[in-house]
Amino acid sequence: MKTLTWLVIGLALLEATVPPVLGAQGKPLNVTGVRGITFGVVFPGVPRVVLRTDAANAGQFDIGHAKFSPIQITFVLPAVMTGPARATMPLVFGANDARYSSPETITSQVGFDPRVPYATTLDKNGRAAVFIGGRAQPLSSQRAGNYTATITMTITVLP
Amino acid sequence: MRISKLSLAVLALVISASAAQAQTNNASITATAAVQTPINVVGAQQLNFGNVFPGVNKTVAATDLTNAGRFDVTGQASTPVTLTFTLPATLSSGANTMPIDTYTGISAATSAQTGGVAFNPVTGANPSLSGAGALFVWIGARVTPATNQAQGTYTANVTMTVVY
Repeated sequence: MKTLTWLVIGLALLEATVPPVLGAQGKPLNVTGVRGITFGVVFPGVPRVVLRTDAANAGQFDIGHAKFSPIQITFVLPAVMTGPARATMPLVFGANDARYSSPETITSQVGFDPRVPYATTLDKNGRAAVFIGGRAQPLSSQRAGNYTATITMTITVLP
Repeated sequence: MRISKLSLAVLALVISASAAQAQTNNASITATAAVQTPINVVGAQQLNFGNVFPGVNKTVAATDLTNAGRFDVTGQASTPVTLTFTLPATLSSGANTMPIDTYTGISAATSAQTGGVAFNPVTGANPSLSGAGALFVWIGARVTPATNQAQGTYTANVTMTVVY
């Protein structure tokens, strides 16, 4: 009896010390920001679109975890980019501005709406890439200078 | 035995809690854009031929700081721009016209025309704004009044378009 009791206590302690990002197969959940969205030079009053398929300028995240893991993708999307003297420039994301791509199904990349959670399943290698585009909308009176904003993607491994 | 049941219950709770726990991780990227200073163009000085006489051609050189037409441009510092022109073929005074041709142009970084570069307004030009974001453009031309040119004040518009 005592042995079993200690076993339970030990398991409980182990549970408390195991990082929550370790999956059932012991493979950590990795999410990496690979590349930002680059709008480049824009002119006041002239919107600039970066397509999700733009290999050079679309943003990219990589995901790695246990094979066939069901996941949910959510974004924190900024409404503006911030520039000199706290000037802001509107940043808009549309219903088809994100793309999910599995290395195993590179020919069947799936577009999705980054504004709402998107559920999918990792491939047999447990890897995927997510691309995101958007639209910068400088005002006609937009102040000159460099503007930036942070885009955060969260992956939740579904139970 | 009672301890054993309790242990099993705790074990079951631990396992079920582990299985039900949602795992999350996140990463961030940056969106970037560089806004250029908008281009502003001002017609600063008219192309002025002054008095002309019937049958006597008159030319205003682009180097004539007093009489050549001048446009002042401001925009993004040290940035190339393309200049194109809409050039009239005649000046008008009511129903009367007078030919204008042989357009010449000079662009420079200063209003004193220092380091000016000549160009043909018919084909346009591709100068760069100065380090201060300035560009000055002068236009000269020739009028060829007919020997029976009617008296009057003749005018026409010369338009310059600037794009990055």
